[in-house]
Amino acid sequence: MTPGSDGRHPPLPPALPSFEHVRRTWNESLGVYSARILPGEYYVTKSEEAVATTLGSCIAACIRDSVSGVGGMNHFMLPATDGNTSESWKAAGLGASTRYGNFAMEHLINSILRTGGRRENLEAKIFGGGRIIAKMTDVGARNIQFVRDYLRAERVRVVAEDVGDIHPRMVVYFPATGDAKVKRLRSLHNNLIAIKESSYINKVIDKPVSGDIELF
Amino acid sequence: MSTANELVKDIHGLVTLPNVYIQIGRLIDDPKSSSADIAKAVGQDPSFTIRLLQVANSALYRFPSEVDAVPKAVSIIGTAQIRNLALSMSVASSFEGLLNELVSMENFWKHSLLCALSARHLAKLVGRCDPDAMFTAGVLHDIGELIIFNRLPEQAQQALLIALDSDEEIPVYQAEQQVMGFHHADVGGALAREWHLPALLEECIAYHHNVAGSQRHRRETALVHLANIFALMAEVDTLDPLDVPSIDPLAWELTGLEDDCVEPCVREVQTEIVAIERLFTGQK
Repeated sequence: MTPGSDGRHPPLPPALPSFEHVRRTWNESLGVYSARILPGEYYVTKSEEAVATTLGSCIAACIRDSVSGVGGMNHFMLPATDGNTSESWKAAGLGASTRYGNFAMEHLINSILRTGGRRENLEAKIFGGGRIIAKMTDVGARNIQFVRDYLRAERVRVVAEDVGDIHPRMVVYFPATGDAKVKRLRSLHNNLIAIKESSYINKVIDKPVSGDIELF
Repeated sequence: MSTANELVKDIHGLVTLPNVYIQIGRLIDDPKSSSADIAKAVGQDPSFTIRLLQVANSALYRFPSEVDAVPKAVSIIGTAQIRNLALSMSVASSFEGLLNELVSMENFWKHSLLCALSARHLAKLVGRCDPDAMFTAGVLHDIGELIIFNRLPEQAQQALLIALDSDEEIPVYQAEQQVMGFHHADVGGALAREWHLPALLEECIAYHHNVAGSQRHRRETALVHLANIFALMAEVDTLDPLDVPSIDPLAWELTGLEDDCVEPCVREVQTEIVAIERLFTGQK
């Protein structure tokens, strides 16, 4: 079904350039279009639409210009720091694992600024970092620490957060208003979410760093 | 494509009905046996014996004096109830070998146990339902999921993805139906028939997502339907109905319960689970 084509829903708002590939669907219960981002993706909009994602130990930073309503969400995690860093990263001197987090945050903020957001108006909400697999080291905690540190250094206000704990989360963010809805998910989904997140992080680590390859 | 029945045939030999449950059942059906015989059968399963006494002394039963021996447990809990407990407390170890990548046994049994506690709580409110039988129905309600996850891992994963992708607007059982043509309640019902479990358990397992499908034990099936959703609320610590799958209005109608029972039930089972989880899930 083409969104909006049956006349039941308003037409799909245009996506900003470079975000056309993100899948957007009509969310019946919220009555809005929602762009669904996967681990490693981000989405910025100036329209009245939502951005949604599902998080295990990953983080989603939701950032907006609180005056103009331009904003968006990213979804990332830091790779483990146990020396598994790939040879290509070591060779390039990019061993610092926070690199992935920095890229994710920079891309989101720069894209908001390019779309007309003003740095002094930025506000953030942060979600995720759950410890969904009990037997593994708490990678979520490191992700939470990273995003808090990053936002403090960039002087972006954190106006709300729901992080840590043991549950996966479904997050829906409305950049235009700054509202966010979080739904904790049952543990039946834990392993699948963890599988998806680790396949994302492994893919990122294995990518060469040369050229202008999108790093996340 | 396999059917629910074929899947159950597939696991024959891998998963068997707990022996202690079978033994107690035989004795109950035998008019010549006494409760002393039943106590003896229980005593032959040391792991069950230890955990049975711990449960008998837990807040779940609130007996005025200590239950320190099996004959006493049999006489105050009741023979039929002991048989239910034998099934509830041994099924986790029966399924130990049926591993899967999608859910940890710990998380799986925790949900089952929250449902069992909710069903037991609701049975006491409703009356005319045996709380111990409802507890067992709760423990077993999702058993088909373990079979699907083990036998059809790819389809199971596909179904979970559909549920997640829809922001859970499509419940897991509907996603399973889409992918496989049947769902975990069908498989659980087939296993209950294969194991010749009482019709009450079979209906509660097979129809906990489709209360209208039950015929002989509609009230009990409706209770497990409610208990399943209350268990999810207890797990993610919410009282907001929008955070969990919607309740079939028929379940309210059949049980005569109203939504003011939600909060006390969720809060009680959140407390109860802490003390008894380890006794049922086989974790040390």
